[in-house]
Amino acid sequence: MKEQWRLLQTGFSTAFSNMAIDRAILVANSQGKVPPTVRFYGWNPPAISIGYFQSVAEEIDVKACKKLGVDYVRRITGGGAVFHDKEVTYSIVIPEAHPAIPKNILKSYGRICNALLHGLKQLGIQGTYAPINDILVDGKKISGNAQTRKVNTVLQHGTILLDVDVETMFSLLKVSNEKIKDKLISDIKQRVTSIEHIVGKKIHFEEVEVALKFGFEEEFDVKLIQGILTKEEKTLAAQFEKKCFSTTQWNHRR
Amino acid sequence: MRSQSVYKVPQGKLLKISVEYNEKNNVIKNIWITGDFFAYPEEAIELMEKKLRNTVIEQGQLLEQIRSVITEYHIQFIGVDAEGLTKGILMCKL
Repeated sequence: MKEQWRLLQTGFSTAFSNMAIDRAILVANSQGKVPPTVRFYGWNPPAISIGYFQSVAEEIDVKACKKLGVDYVRRITGGGAVFHDKEVTYSIVIPEAHPAIPKNILKSYGRICNALLHGLKQLGIQGTYAPINDILVDGKKISGNAQTRKVNTVLQHGTILLDVDVETMFSLLKVSNEKIKDKLISDIKQRVTSIEHIVGKKIHFEEVEVALKFGFEEEFDVKLIQGILTKEEKTLAAQFEKKCFSTTQWNHRR
Repeated sequence: MRSQSVYKVPQGKLLKISVEYNEKNNVIKNIWITGDFFAYPEEAIELMEKKLRNTVIEQGQLLEQIRSVITEYHIQFIGVDAEGLTKGILMCKL
């Protein structure tokens, strides 16, 4: 019988809640209270997440975010700034010692990204993993991923773009050299793609969830069983949201 | 004196370093290492910043100090390395 992992489809939440839930699952899994978990989610309102090591002041135009009703949050994972709008976000939480997870961090990025590649294939999209943390289709980025390892547990989360609005993205993110902003925007347009751009029609969030579920089951040879957050995870997530991810102290710490 | 650098590590990530240092002897007073790289454990970056205080901005000394912190605290960097960090700090002085 195949190993059973938990599948969470938590729908659309705020940036603060989304990051708090991922962290709560990590804690619960590290204590052996929940099985390995794959989660799919979206962002409402749209938000920017920045990597743990990034500076808010350097990366985000806070005034523009406020004007457009876009939230921003610091992740517990490294990596770059991401504008979360039309996309499906996933997270996977699993013990570091689980045989499915290579000890080598880069290799484990590759393994988890393989699950996404299987999922994309279900949608008729042929992608490739581009180390360190990207997935490309025809040489253009469609997915970015970030991993942390804490208390002997792996958390990797990432995005798969449904559609992309580079102009809005750049109105929210700071560019180190304003003079080359226009060129940068046209460069990024050449280097980023999305599911809808590739297949040439609207693809629903739920279709991508189904495809990704298959992708994870295929790559890890497991069965994903629909579940819900435990009471303890919900309590923990509420605490993380209130005391960490929604606070200026956390988000502006660098 | 406070100055900044932006350095794209070859085959790696974008490093943005800000250094406050004594102009007379080039000793670091404070340093902020930011960017889209990865470090495990993440909290080690604050430790690295702390341990780089009082280090002279000079290639050999920086490299030695960074390497010793990496070894002592078992830090794993992805997208940046000791050489990249050193270069980013040196660029602040140019």
